[in-house]
Amino acid sequence: MLSKRAVFALFRLSPVGLTLLVVGVVFTLLTPTFLTLNNLLNVCTSASVVAIVGLGMTLAIASGNFDLSVGSTAAFAGCITMSLVPQIGVMPAIVSGVLSGGLIGWVNGLIVTELRVPAFIATLGMLTIVRGAALIYTRGRDIYLFGKTEYKMLSSGMTPVLLALALAVLFSVLLGQTRFGRHILATGSNIISARRVGVRTSYVLWGVFAIVGATAALSGLILSAQVLTGNGRLATGLELSAIAVVVLGGTPLTGGKASIPGTLLGSLLVAVINNGLNLLNVSVFYQNVTLGLLLLGALTLEALAAHRTLNRATA
Amino acid sequence: MIEPALPVKSANPLRTVRPAKTDETVNPEVGQASRAIRNLDWDLLWEKFGIATVLAFVWILAALATPRFANLDNLASVLRQSAFVGVAAVGMTIAIIAGTFDLSVGSTQALSAWTAVAIAPYFGVLPAFIAAVAVGGTIGLLNGSLVVLVRIPAFIATLGTMFLISGLTFILTNGQTARFNGKDFVWWGNGLIGNIPVPFILFLFCAAIGAFILHRTSFGRYVFTIGSNAGAAYVAGVPVGRTILFVFVVVGLFTGLGAALLGSRLYSAGPGLEPGFELNVIATVVLGGTRLAGGRGSMFGTVAAAILFATLSNVLNLNHVDAFVQRVAVGLVLLLALSVEGVRQRLVERWNRRQRPSS
Repeated sequence: MLSKRAVFALFRLSPVGLTLLVVGVVFTLLTPTFLTLNNLLNVCTSASVVAIVGLGMTLAIASGNFDLSVGSTAAFAGCITMSLVPQIGVMPAIVSGVLSGGLIGWVNGLIVTELRVPAFIATLGMLTIVRGAALIYTRGRDIYLFGKTEYKMLSSGMTPVLLALALAVLFSVLLGQTRFGRHILATGSNIISARRVGVRTSYVLWGVFAIVGATAALSGLILSAQVLTGNGRLATGLELSAIAVVVLGGTPLTGGKASIPGTLLGSLLVAVINNGLNLLNVSVFYQNVTLGLLLLGALTLEALAAHRTLNRATA
Repeated sequence: MIEPALPVKSANPLRTVRPAKTDETVNPEVGQASRAIRNLDWDLLWEKFGIATVLAFVWILAALATPRFANLDNLASVLRQSAFVGVAAVGMTIAIIAGTFDLSVGSTQALSAWTAVAIAPYFGVLPAFIAAVAVGGTIGLLNGSLVVLVRIPAFIATLGTMFLISGLTFILTNGQTARFNGKDFVWWGNGLIGNIPVPFILFLFCAAIGAFILHRTSFGRYVFTIGSNAGAAYVAGVPVGRTILFVFVVVGLFTGLGAALLGSRLYSAGPGLEPGFELNVIATVVLGGTRLAGGRGSMFGTVAAAILFATLSNVLNLNHVDAFVQRVAVGLVLLLALSVEGVRQRLVERWNRRQRPSS
């Protein structure tokens, strides 16, 4: 077993990782089915939908902003793509779906930088507008896709997991190795200083919001591919789950810092807990309670740790 | 309306450092006319009366365009509809002025409304309302403790309680909707006094209390001070922690009352009462001219914004506009109203730049 010191080291390195480990062990002991390849694959698939949009959201939060419109964007892109598949084929439809998300995100960025509306309100407005647009487009009905099983590829097997991992690698490189990434972090830690030293913060934010929109669209495509149905009500409330996952992963809401692996682990943790509760036959109603408790617990620990280091520093 | 004699200008960090807003811009080279216009403080004017003016125009236009709009029954229904978001928005206005906000009001609303509807048949109307308000206050206390004592950022703390309370409500109600149609209970949500709906009267009453708290009490003064600059407020001896804790309780209390009214209006309440309610409430407050960054805002604006949203959906309904298109309209109104300030800033900046081409 792990020594006490190792546990502490792991906790300091990644609290969410340690929690994930503990929760995983508990569920393995409690249920015979948790630690099976099939189940773990299911968990990873369901985690990756939130993880993909969460990764985009990590960039947004690192740049000091939010995007509340991701759920609506996911629904909009899902519907657009579903209706485009029969006309232009699977791959072009997927590409245009993701691009439509990027476009919506870019509009968010424009509203924030050019009209100077705070991101919270700008994306709140876009939340209702884009959701309305998706519902108008589908006339409130479902769009079914018959006989186009290639589209199902997007959600079957390891595809969503691989997409999430690929995006995680991409965004890690982006944040750590590129100028654009450094500019994102600079904008997030202090937008005024960033502007003073010559960072084109407007362009940075356009890029960030476009990326968030594109990731949201990708999540929406996977969701719609899972059921082969496009619906204007898809992914309602995704925005707050995505933010919750990012925060669980240790990315601070204040901006300037990002933890890409944290976001992956955070979404995995939520998926593992939901899955474990399902396996234990616990009512779905408890899933929200545990998510709430997790968030509050994680942040309480973080606050206590910060308090302790502060005390040690001042003593 | 009396503004507190405290630094409440410009809570938006983006504004203060724009080159055009630094000391050079108030140099004597700038013309007299421009200074007179600037001295008018369009920010403050727009913030205080902007939405009320828009509302007045919308009412006139609606009355001209839609004959059915301007009749007493319809107006009463508009005002009634405004109350259910409005009462919660009164509390949220105080919270946002204090520089925090509460994402858990939607869950609180569901739990409080269910409590009221479930209790009313057994214990009567007054205990039902008191219970709903008490539930709200308790959740507010929880939120406040998390933010003040545990020091979790308000956004995440209330996001956590949002999930927590919504889950608890589903467990408590077993996913079932409670129903009650007792006459004296549903009167509070549906009744009229004269031609004025009871919930709207209560809404105005709440707004008056809110305005009194904000502008006539030391608590209100603390709220503005903390919203402008929490650090400075702390150094100046304002009891920041206690005030913020109380702010969350106030939000909970008002949300609970609004929830009981909604339960009474609908004769029923269930765990998934109104998804996205928290964002509607915040949208109403912000549309009313209260700055999300804190330190500035008015209860008057919140009342006007609540009525404006209700009017908008009423007029669109009367003209048979699709509910889906209404969502788009609501979002557009929010964005338009909120971009007025930013666009004005940009115009002023461009104008200043043209005045001084040398720099």
